[in-house]
Formats: sequence, C-alpha cells, structure tokens
Amino acid sequence: MEFSPRYHHTSEMLLNEQQIIEAAKQNPENFGPLYDKYYKQIFGYVYQRMDCKDTAFDLTSQVFLKALTNIEKYEYKGVPFASWLYRIAHSEVMQLFRTKKNLRTVNADIGDLKNICEEVEEEYLEQYQKILMTVIKDLPEDDLQLIELRFFEKRAFKEIAEILNITETNAKVKLYRILDRVKKTLTKKQNYGN
Amino acid sequence: MATKFNLNRPAVPDEEINSHKDFGELVNKFKAESIQKARSDVSFLKSKKATYTAIITGVTVICTVTYFAVFKKNPPKQTANDTIITSQKNISNTPKIKPNKAFIAPPISKLNVPYTSYKVKAEQGAKIEHKQSKIYIPKNAFVNKQGQDIIGDVDIQYREFHDQVDIIASGIPMAYDSAGIKSTLESAGMFDIKGFQNGEQVYVNPKKVLTVELASNNITDKFNQYVLDTVAENWVYMKHDVLGTKGIEKTKETKETNFKTQQLQKQLDDIPPKIEAEKVVYTKKVNLLPKTVQPTKPIKSTEGRPQFELDVNYKEFPELEAFKNAVFEVGSENKNYNAKLSDITWSSAEISEGPQKGKNYLVTLRLRERVEKLIVYPALTGANYDKAIATYEKKFGEYKNLVTNREADEKKLKEEFEAKQQVYLAEQKKLNEELVRERIKIRQEQDKQFAEQFSTMGNQQCIMRTFQVSNFGIYNSDCPNSMPKGASINPIYVINNGTNSITPTTTYLVCHTKNIVYNLISGAPLSYNPEDTYSLCVIANGKLYTCSKEIFSTLAKENRNKFPLLEFSIAINDVNDLKKALGI
Repeated sequence: MEFSPRYHHTSEMLLNEQQIIEAAKQNPENFGPLYDKYYKQIFGYVYQRMDCKDTAFDLTSQVFLKALTNIEKYEYKGVPFASWLYRIAHSEVMQLFRTKKNLRTVNADIGDLKNICEEVEEEYLEQYQKILMTVIKDLPEDDLQLIELRFFEKRAFKEIAEILNITETNAKVKLYRILDRVKKTLTKKQNYGN
Repeated sequence: MATKFNLNRPAVPDEEINSHKDFGELVNKFKAESIQKARSDVSFLKSKKATYTAIITGVTVICTVTYFAVFKKNPPKQTANDTIITSQKNISNTPKIKPNKAFIAPPISKLNVPYTSYKVKAEQGAKIEHKQSKIYIPKNAFVNKQGQDIIGDVDIQYREFHDQVDIIASGIPMAYDSAGIKSTLESAGMFDIKGFQNGEQVYVNPKKVLTVELASNNITDKFNQYVLDTVAENWVYMKHDVLGTKGIEKTKETKETNFKTQQLQKQLDDIPPKIEAEKVVYTKKVNLLPKTVQPTKPIKSTEGRPQFELDVNYKEFPELEAFKNAVFEVGSENKNYNAKLSDITWSSAEISEGPQKGKNYLVTLRLRERVEKLIVYPALTGANYDKAIATYEKKFGEYKNLVTNREADEKKLKEEFEAKQQVYLAEQKKLNEELVRERIKIRQEQDKQFAEQFSTMGNQQCIMRTFQVSNFGIYNSDCPNSMPKGASINPIYVINNGTNSITPTTTYLVCHTKNIVYNLISGAPLSYNPEDTYSLCVIANGKLYTCSKEIFSTLAKENRNKFPLLEFSIAINDVNDLKKALGI
C-alpha cells in the first residue's frame, strides 16, 4: 500500500511556512498563502467524512476562519501547519456529527477495502465486500477515524499521530488492535453469514 | 440512523474546489467576527470612556468594512495611474501612510510598454495569440460591476514585460515583502491584462478562469507565480510555476532519424513472422519424409495353448501380413475362455488392436445376443514361422535403414531450420542494438537541439508558463532575490562631464546576469556583486539618465564612486532605444 507524500516538508519549507504564519499573526491578509496551500487538503479531509459537498465547503471555510481567529495561539513545534489545521478540522467535523449524526458517511474505494483485507491477512472476495463495509461502518467513531486516516486517506502514521494528537506508536498500536477486531468480526460474519 | 458507506465515490474536481476558495470572504468574516468580539468584550466596555471609544471605533471599522464590502461587489474603475485592484484593502489600526507617488509609476510616460488591444465576443470566448503567448478566454468569461454577464464585444488589453527595460519602463515595482523579508523579484516574464466594454471596466466572471500561456525566454524551474496586489502594494504568491515546453520544431535530422527508427522497428517486427514461417516449412518437410512402421516379429506358436484361425484383412492390418497362415493363440489373461467356445460357430468375428499395440489383438465374437471378447496373440507354426521370420528380418532391415535415413533427413532439416532461425535472431539482435543506438542518438539530438534553441533563443521564447487568471491584473513569474552582495560604494551621480552632480529621485540598478532591476534607496550605499554585470538607470528632475554596463564595470573595478550619467530623455522614442542604450 502506497501512502501519500503530501505531508512531507523539508526544513526549509517549514521555515518558510513559519515566516508566513508569523506574518499572518501580524496581519490576517498574510494568511493567503496558507489558505491557498491547504484549502484543498482540508476540504478533502472534511468531505471524506460526509456526503454533502456544500456542507463540506461550509465546514472548510469554518475551519480556516477558526484557524485565522486563533492563529496567535499557534506555536511552531517543528511540524507542518497542516497538522494544526487538521486538528481544527477534526474538531469541527466531530462537533457537527454530534448534532447531526446522519451526516456521517464513510467513503472508500474497493482498493482500500482490499488493502484492509491484505492487512488482516484475509482474501478479498467480492461476496465479502458488503460484510467488510458493514464491519467498518459499525466501528466506534475513534476506530473508524484511524481506519479512514490510514487506509482511505493513505496517511503515514506520523501524520495520523499529529492529527489525532497521539504518539506515533500509540497510533500504530491502536490501529493494529482495531484490525485484529476487524479480522475477528469479519471471520465471524463470514462463518455465520451475518 | 445507520452510517452510509459510499464505494468509489467520484473525486471532486480541482476546478470545483478552487471555485469555492475565497480568501477575501474569509478575511471579511474574520474582521466581522473580530468586531463582534470586541463589541461583546464586557471588560473593555467597563468604563464610559471606553464605551464611547468602542462605539466610535466600531462605527468607524464597520463603515470601513461596509465600504470594502461594497468595494468588493462594485469593483473600482481603473485609476489614472493605471492601478488595478486585486484584493481587499488591509484594515489596520495604524493607518498606512501612503506616499503621494502612484504605486505603478512609469518614470517616463512615452517609455511605457504599450498595450495591445484585442476584440473578443464575450458570449463566444476566444483564443488570442499575442506574439508567442496565448490567452484562452472561455465563453461568458466577463461580468460587469453588478456581476451580470457581459454580452458583446469586450476590449482585452494586454501587454508583456520580459526584460529589465520593460520593468523600468512600466514602473511596476519589483520589490517583494514576504512575511517581512524584503527582496527583489527576478522575472521570467510578466503580463498585464484587463478588459473593457464601451470604456467601462469589466471583470472576470467568478465562475470562469482565463488561461494565459506566457511565452518566456527563461527556462529555469525556480520561479513562482505572483499577482500584483496594488492595494496591499505587494506581490501575492500564487503557486510554483510549472514549466511547459512549447512545441519545438523537429529538425530535418530528427525527422530522418525518426524515419530510420520506424524502419528499424518495422524490420524488427517482421522477424518473428519470418521465423514462424520457417518453422512451418520445416514441419511440413518433416511430415513429408517417408513414414516408418516397425514390422512385428512373428511369434512361434506355443504348444498346448488354445488356438484358432481367422480370416484377416491384411490391408487393414498390414502388420499381420507377416502372420499369413498364422494361428491366434488365446492369451492366458482371458478368464472367460473355455474350450467350448471353439465348438460354437460364431456368426461374426471382428479383430481390433489389443491392449498391447502390435503384440496382441482383441477378437470380438458374436452369435445373436452373445458376445465374447478374447485377447489373442498371432503365432506361426513350423515352416510358416521360418518363412515369416525370414520376411520379418528382411523388412526389419529395410525398416532400420529407413529410420536411419529419416533420422538423418530430419536432423538435416532441423539444422537448416535452426541455421535460418539463428540468422534471423542475429539480425533481430543487430536491429535491436541499432534501434537502441538510434533512440539514444535521437534523444541526444533532441537535447542538443533543445539546448541550441534555448541558447540562441534571444527574443524567440520557447517555454510556456501557464497562468490561471481569475482577476484582471498584473501577473508575474518570479523568483525573490536579496540585494546583491560583495562590494559596496557610496555613489555620486554626475552629469555634463562630471561638472554637475545630481540627486536621483529613483535609481535602478540593472543586473544583466539575471533579469532583475533593483530599485535603490536614495542616499543609501550601492551594493553589488563584482561577479555580475550591471548598468544604471537614474531618474532625476523628470529626466532619465543612464550609465552603461561598460562604464559601471570600469568604475567598479577601480572602486570609484563617481558615476558619469548620460541624459537619455532627449533622444528617447520608445523602450527599444533604452534597451540599446543599456545593452539589453
């Protein structure tokens, strides 16, 4: 499984970004390059978790507004500004789902499901597709988040850890435990038919 | 409610995502929120004085925001000094003191780079070719200040800036402030585009994007795209500039080489069918060789074993010819055999191959419904056996000869086929090697041509830099550069053979090594890199003076600070005159 390199930043890029952030703290008009750079990524993150495009666009705007409002509180910790934006996005999305649970959607490709099967050492068979989809969407929200970040958005553990504000090791351990449970549920459902 | 699961949902196109991007709106919202927050800040409003202050400030800011909100909806008309607003004005607690001088101020009006006007039917869209650059305008790409679609002729005014003189002549500032870090932009090409209908400025439809393919003579991949924000008076970073090559004409050599590779490829493609054809010929020839059938060795009858005679069709079973007058012995494997079977007169008897081909046969005996099957072995007795064995030996000898000959012929045919196959394979290898060589040659030739075209390009631009234009304005493919370092002098500018000194209002340090014009601060030391080539262009008392790169170089080498200037304004007609004077 290949993972997206979008998170990779050189130290020079991080430094440049930091300069822009500092300028944005002085004047919101200077926030433009960050808005341009991360708009698509944040929209992608939000829309990945819902079905309504308009809501996703609105929420994306809300994320950037929050970011701009709180930029003075942002502290550079050697990681891309994106991780901070993702945390805001995560918080906004969860806030929305708390009030409108029916907006929650899981979006994946068949390739993603195959990757999960590969990871749990199960053969991907078309007749099990629905079972797997049910197993995934029935996962608790926190578990589903990890599966989404890792398999549907193809993020590196480092990035997942940054977004969820946990350690990289913790992200790995949590994910493998979830996969274990997925494997068990999957086997059970395959054997008993539901 | 159960969570929905979408499988293979189509991705949202970038265009759609970008169409929702509105940084101006975000900033407006932010400002509105800030005002709201300030208003609701109870502690701030504790004192009466503070309340009044807040109200006054609030009203002022609201008015300012309202003004800018209107400003956005009703885009400004073009100003006399040629500025085009590209973004919202910065609202700051400390108002910016603006200099009286226009932000874009061409130093000498007749030097300014002229616009080329193109008529475009707004509802049809158009593709404009400006020298080597192209402007793609989609249908209904323009709106008026009320945001309504424009119909009819739109006058697109377009101009480009490619070198240092274009930059000086246009008066477009090249200073760039990136988060407080000041630099000067090195340009790989810049353009200014605007649109009018009946003298009224039109605007790019927010749902549409114009595409400008700017022909650039700088091939390096270090530039970013910027748009000039004439309100914030700074360049705004858009994205990294991705190079696109314009179709380079293939030279005759390349075309010929391509033809050669096509021929080689064709010859290569022809080889496998040729090998296959040879294989078919070989197989056919082998099949035509005489067939060999090994004669069956006669068997002498075993005394005491049950036997019977059959009327055999020797044409059908030629191998039994040796058994003429033979008897058939019943094999011991026939468990169903008993002597009484010999007493029955069978209505029919059929003989077919037995389980051991050439050794035994299957005899099927029928009488009405009764069927008996026996495995029998042909055998001879007495003189018949001697005669048969003699015939067999003769035929076996002939058979052996035939096999030897056939094997020799087959071997010969195989060798012939393999030799031909080897020739083809060798040819294939040779052609393959030649093809690889040709392809390398083509690549090298193309690289060479590419390099030659770039090195001899001059004004002929070959790199296309593509801009997505969602607002009219000035766009630039640039790379920020800091002020040159290495040497520094306090310049004194003199005219009339050194008799009079002048104080410039503007001093341009023109770098000839890179496409940069540094706008020097009046009275500040002149720093430069001794490894680069420079000239000077000075504005004083409304006149333009130059100091050629040769003079600059000489003075810099001698570390002299008196720069003799030549008044240029008198002889000036257009930018080309200045280019000649500065050696650009």
